[in-house]
Amino acid sequence: MEANEILAKAESLRNDLSTGFRDEIVKSLYTEAENIAKRAVKAATDKKYDLDQKIDRLVTSPYTGLPIMLLLLSFVIWLTVSGANVVSNGIAVVLFGIGDYGRALFDQIGMPWWITGFIWDGVYLSLAWVVSVMLPPMMIFFPAFTFLEDLGYLPRVAFNMDWLFKKTGAHGKQSLTMAMGFGCNAAGVIATRVIDSPRERLIAILTNNFVPCNGRFPTLIMLATVFVAASFPPALTSFIAAGTVVGVVLIGVLFTFLASWILSKTLLKGEASAFTLELPPYRRPNISRILYTSIIDRTIFVLWRAMQTAAPAGAIIWILANIHLGDSNLARMIADWLNPFGLLLGLDGVILLAYIIAIPANEIVVPTMMMVYMGAGMMINGPSGNSAIFDLLVNGNGWTMLTAINLMLFALLHNPCATTILTIYKETKSYKWATLSVVMTLGTAFLVTFLTASFARLMGWA
Amino acid sequence: MNMTVWLALTIVLIAAIFIPRMGFLAIYKTYRATRERELVEDALKHLLDREQHGRQASPESLAGTLNLQRGRITRLIEDMETQGLLESRGTNLHLTTQGERWALHVVRAHRLWERYLTDEARMPLGRIHGESERREHSLTEAQLNDLDAALGHPTRDPHGDPIPTREGTLLKTEGMPLTAWQSEDPVRIVHLEDEPALAFEQILAAGLRLGQTIRILDRNPQRILLTDGETEFRLAPAVAANVSVAPLPESEAAKANAIPLAELTYDQRAEIVVLDEAVQGFTRRRFLDLGLTPGTVVYPELQNFFGDPRAYRVRGTLIALRKDQAAQIWVKPV
Amino acid sequence: MTNTKTILPTEHCETCPAFTQLEQMGIKVGDFDRVVALAGNPNTGKSTLFNTLTGLKQHTGNWPGKTVTRAEGGFEFNKMRYKLVDLPGTYSLLSASQDEEVARDFILFGQPSCTIVVCDATSLERNLNLVLQVMEITEHVVVAINLMDEAKRKGLEVDARSLSRDLGVPAIAITARTGDGIHTLLGAVADVIEGNIVTKPLRVHGTPEFQKAVNELVPMIEQMAPGIPNARWLAIRLLDGDARVQKALSTGELGDIVSRQQRADVQFSAKMSVEGRQ
Ligand SMILES: Nc1nc2c(ncn2[C@@H]2O[C@H](COP(=O)(O)OP(=O)(O)O)[C@@H](O)[C@H]2O)c(=O)[nH]1
Ligand SMILES: [Mg+2]
Repeated sequence: MEANEILAKAESLRNDLSTGFRDEIVKSLYTEAENIAKRAVKAATDKKYDLDQKIDRLVTSPYTGLPIMLLLLSFVIWLTVSGANVVSNGIAVVLFGIGDYGRALFDQIGMPWWITGFIWDGVYLSLAWVVSVMLPPMMIFFPAFTFLEDLGYLPRVAFNMDWLFKKTGAHGKQSLTMAMGFGCNAAGVIATRVIDSPRERLIAILTNNFVPCNGRFPTLIMLATVFVAASFPPALTSFIAAGTVVGVVLIGVLFTFLASWILSKTLLKGEASAFTLELPPYRRPNISRILYTSIIDRTIFVLWRAMQTAAPAGAIIWILANIHLGDSNLARMIADWLNPFGLLLGLDGVILLAYIIAIPANEIVVPTMMMVYMGAGMMINGPSGNSAIFDLLVNGNGWTMLTAINLMLFALLHNPCATTILTIYKETKSYKWATLSVVMTLGTAFLVTFLTASFARLMGWA
Repeated sequence: MNMTVWLALTIVLIAAIFIPRMGFLAIYKTYRATRERELVEDALKHLLDREQHGRQASPESLAGTLNLQRGRITRLIEDMETQGLLESRGTNLHLTTQGERWALHVVRAHRLWERYLTDEARMPLGRIHGESERREHSLTEAQLNDLDAALGHPTRDPHGDPIPTREGTLLKTEGMPLTAWQSEDPVRIVHLEDEPALAFEQILAAGLRLGQTIRILDRNPQRILLTDGETEFRLAPAVAANVSVAPLPESEAAKANAIPLAELTYDQRAEIVVLDEAVQGFTRRRFLDLGLTPGTVVYPELQNFFGDPRAYRVRGTLIALRKDQAAQIWVKPV
Repeated sequence: MTNTKTILPTEHCETCPAFTQLEQMGIKVGDFDRVVALAGNPNTGKSTLFNTLTGLKQHTGNWPGKTVTRAEGGFEFNKMRYKLVDLPGTYSLLSASQDEEVARDFILFGQPSCTIVVCDATSLERNLNLVLQVMEITEHVVVAINLMDEAKRKGLEVDARSLSRDLGVPAIAITARTGDGIHTLLGAVADVIEGNIVTKPLRVHGTPEFQKAVNELVPMIEQMAPGIPNARWLAIRLLDGDARVQKALSTGELGDIVSRQQRADVQFSAKMSVEGRQ
């Protein structure tokens, strides 16, 4: 019997079947399943979905749904900001203390200055920065987020937000992939596989980067705490800082909608496709498992990856800062050269240099930046405490509120890290889309920061 | 400028023109051949279309459709005759068996592409015709069969036209123009003609879609007034002539007193009667897989700030559906 | 559950023909005696069961679509080494979304020694729909009724024996999170593989008209590939016009599964690249 004969036979049989036969197949499967289930399941009481239903009514209701969502987001971020603040200083003191001690030890045993400098002021300092900036927020954010995920809250977010996505020509499950993006944009890009329509999936992939990932959160938290919240009474700082970060996240969501809408009107033309989403029943999260996966598995994993890029980056910075040319050094010279462009965007040359060095991983932007500033001789030890950082940036390097705000915007909007770009390429199998993801985000970042800077200068604020 | 440079330039230029497969000449030739093939295929489609509508095709009608000069048409017809694709009898043109086979192939390609663009690429209806017109010329028989299989062997294109099978049989188009339907009974839209594009756009803009059940409320020489039970539609008679309708088939009659799932009020229970014919392909399967099969009892349970989507309790699970999807599921309140 | 998390010794079984197909799908089966797949609707606790069995840390989450790639791990039970494959959740094996295809292709072409279909005890009806479909493809099926703790909380009593009787395959009540019932589950899996339990999967026949068409195709398929275990399912898929199955048929891939011969060009293996962490 030939395969082709069978195919032809199947086709002729199919044409003879009544048109709805596919519906019939599924219907008979479900009827059978229903009968079997009826025989096997007995309801002892009929309070079945009671509690679930009450919660669901609350978290999706027209009046309370969106506010609860915003409150939960704010709460998680507030928890992260205030918790991180407590631990962060302690960790910094210890780590930078070890640095001082190591340096002293090396000096004592008569190591050449360049070995001491390379190891302790380059590689170690960069690692210490990454750990003290990143570890605390992650330790709090990941468990809190995983808790909501395990509870079953994420599909409700997708349910609440879908209408907006539909209006922008995108898929409602994009909220799920964005939620994953908070953890890591590369994971967010992989998660877009839940979207069936290729067009809408591409939109979700290209815009995922507008969600600040865990590598960028620390930058936002630090800037919000050190700059925006600094002028408020201490009792309020954590609320102001959290509010600022929430604001930045919302701006990111806004840009996601905007970019999705523009994409579905131009490059990825089309209308919203079918959307079906199961809202699973709530489940009691497994706390010990959550703590384990989010701290051991995710935090350590992400931190380790960050450290792997931080060490060479620290080395590079140190070398650049120690190649002296006349009065200046190479790092300074590059930064000076980038400075006019940086100023145009309301940033400065050092920030741009840090971003260039941080292409492999966004996490190391702050450490890199700090090291270049410090390399200029302001301070040898790591500054501990927010006031020291404030002092270093404002008095030592001429930062203003505009610099801080624009850096937050830039951190939110700029290009995806190398891992994410690679993932986008793998998922789309196209250089075109991978390139577009970079051009689109970077373009937005340049444009937005340029506009805010110009506006601020026009108004005489900066 | 010295000699060698000139010589080199000339060689490069000649090479650029004559290099096989990549030179300008080769590219031009391929272009010509492709263009010629497209012309032939468009001519075949025209002849098939005329035959199906019981009208004669002539060099004039062909020139009109293809938008070409008479001289060009004469050459085209001669070419096609030598290829054994058509015969002229008097002023009339007829397809040979071979010509008809090819014509059906092109029609099949066109309609499968339309199906693909609607179901998979989810392109708006107004754009699929033009896009398919461009793509219909490029597929081989085997590729077409693959496309057909990938789409789940659809029988009709998104306008309601039948798709030829791989053996080349073509179902008859049922229905009559809306303008010819005289009674007040509800009818179902079975076909939306997509040419001329202007009329088609008006049909789409009015909000009519395939498979919709409508009733004529009023007619006069300026306009025809329709309703689907909820919205009223106004069409100029010239446009309405491009909408074909057929009486409701027996099983669909049930649909007449069924309502779309989207219209159920909060917590109102209803039994699914049938999935609308406009839902096809992947979406239809998804619906069925989620348990939205005829006979299932469902009710809306959750509504969000925007009122869209709503979540329905289906076989014990909450499933969120957007309004326009829920409008394609017909239910009967119980 | 003490003996399942041992580190596995290595010994190759390159000559075992049943495993060639799996090798091609990117799974190293050399170190294992048996391959078990975890199928089921999204959110039924497949990944949780996977973690409990293998001691690995595949991420779980309460939303459909958390697992989009395939994960693998190993465990040992009664001196047998098992390879466990966690598949993306699917509502059915009929539609062709990307993750459903991964699951479907694996059960059909990967030919695992046994497939565990993980069900949610609190919405059995929906889950059994998938069980019925998996049972069309293979008779080596064990049904795991998971989330029994949730069912209890909601006041539901699930009678696993009634399910076993109706379905014709073992149905075991478990709570993946705590490990309740898992020993029994693994016992049933071993019994099904070893033939101590002979399964008689329930088949759904559909309308008479459809049944007739299926019956016309089945002999043709059996004639082309004698001994093919799931001719009925293939006939149904062909009638439905399943592109993937049609391709497998015309390229001869199906015949090859039956004769279990190594093939060089399994195109879909590339698609099933194994990505670990997400
Ligand atoms: N209460 C309870 N929850 C469970 C059990 N098994 C899984 N879960 C939860 O159900 C949700 C879905 O689990 P997961 O393993 O990701 O499902 P998958 O999509 O099938 O892989 C998660 O929130 C789990 O914590 C169980 O036995 N009891
Ligand atoms: Mg999973």
